[in-house]
Amino acid sequence: MDIKKVYNSKSVEEVIDLLGEYGKKAKVIAGGTDIVIALNKNVIEPEILIDISKIEELKGIREEDEYITIGSTTTFAEVVESQIFENNLYGLHKACKMVGSPQIRNKGTIGGNIANGSPAADSVPPLMALDSIVTLKSIDGIREISLEDYYLNPIKEKELLINIRFKRPKDNQILTFAKLGLRKALAISRLTLSSYIEFEDKTIDSIRVASGALAKFPMREKEVEDYLLGKSLEEKTIEGAIEVLRNSMDERLKGRSTLPYKRVAISTILREILEEALAIEEGVKAW
Amino acid sequence: MVNINFTVNGKPYEISIDENMRLIDVLRDELGLIGTKEGCGEGECGACTIIMDGETVNSCLVMGFQADGSNIVTIEGLEKDGQLHPVQRAYMEAGAVQCGFCIPGMVLSTKALLDKNPSPSDEEIREGISGNLCRCTGYNKMLIATKKAIEYMKGE
Ligand code: FES
Ligand code: FES
Repeated sequence: MDIKKVYNSKSVEEVIDLLGEYGKKAKVIAGGTDIVIALNKNVIEPEILIDISKIEELKGIREEDEYITIGSTTTFAEVVESQIFENNLYGLHKACKMVGSPQIRNKGTIGGNIANGSPAADSVPPLMALDSIVTLKSIDGIREISLEDYYLNPIKEKELLINIRFKRPKDNQILTFAKLGLRKALAISRLTLSSYIEFEDKTIDSIRVASGALAKFPMREKEVEDYLLGKSLEEKTIEGAIEVLRNSMDERLKGRSTLPYKRVAISTILREILEEALAIEEGVKAW
Repeated sequence: MVNINFTVNGKPYEISIDENMRLIDVLRDELGLIGTKEGCGEGECGACTIIMDGETVNSCLVMGFQADGSNIVTIEGLEKDGQLHPVQRAYMEAGAVQCGFCIPGMVLSTKALLDKNPSPSDEEIREGISGNLCRCTGYNKMLIATKKAIEYMKGE
């Protein structure tokens, strides 16, 4: 580490000005759960470190009109404790609850999960399945981008991730999540899936499925979505969906040593998210 | 160098630290509080666990300057008037301490859990210490110790 100057910032404006001035020499730090490891191993070597964890504007979860907005420095623990993520938004609660350890959940943030671009960022698939929008700010202005497109056009040097928002779901729209893989240190690879399903009785009226660790970045699984759309959620639909996802994985992960493992593992977690969605729709509590 | 103001184990400090220091370095090397251990340095083992503003955190993943304005409790801050904290006492009595390396972090995670949830289930206890690795005990003794601590704390 060769950090020359640090800032405990108190406002978004201050951070944006600093990022505008220092550009790639500066790094933003919030929970630190990813970045301090990278700093300590000299994977990144910024001269300036800007702490944003004390900026009120970036904290917390708000419900406004039809949107739910999560501030970028909201921790996983705060999502887990929030009553907003019960019932049909249970998938995000579950994803955040399965992150690391209590210590990591107390510090790690939703914004960091997105901005650090890890393929295995657990909170990202549910947020992507919710069709979330990311808001970034820089001295040049505000940029809004869907989380799905974000990975093609991620955060730039001068930008600060402000928040992420999505439309509050209706009662028949259900978010679920499942994960395979234990602790970071022990897991050969992690796999996550999240689905957002709108039901009409047992029929899937609209659907979005997002995966983590099945590609370089979390992504939407459109082939599975197309397959499931309009179908009644029953055993043969689930089996069919597993086949479809396996086929797209075969293409995407061809030649990777992890493919045989992931092919087997995926059936368990795809089944879990679909069966859990149906259970919640039918009023069975999953928590 | 950067100045920080913070409270550690009830005592206010105003110190000047190197920008490159992590919080664990500040606690151990600047304040001499060597009860906080460094195992992995990567957020995996929990040996460096401290309580910061009421929440357990891995002090190897916090930069020193970020602690400005915070209230920190380390293992040295648990005993009161020469008396061990009930969690410390229970750990000793249950034989939950072998080599001891994980214990400061383990005890602080247990304390933080019981502060929030005075009567946790077995599952909640295991979850509460899931961020603390122990290579000696096999964790069952921690479960027994925590149940003892719950009784002691109820009696207080
Ligand atoms: S030393 Fe901090 S978690 Fe291992
Ligand atoms: S007692 Fe030795 S690591 Fe826990």
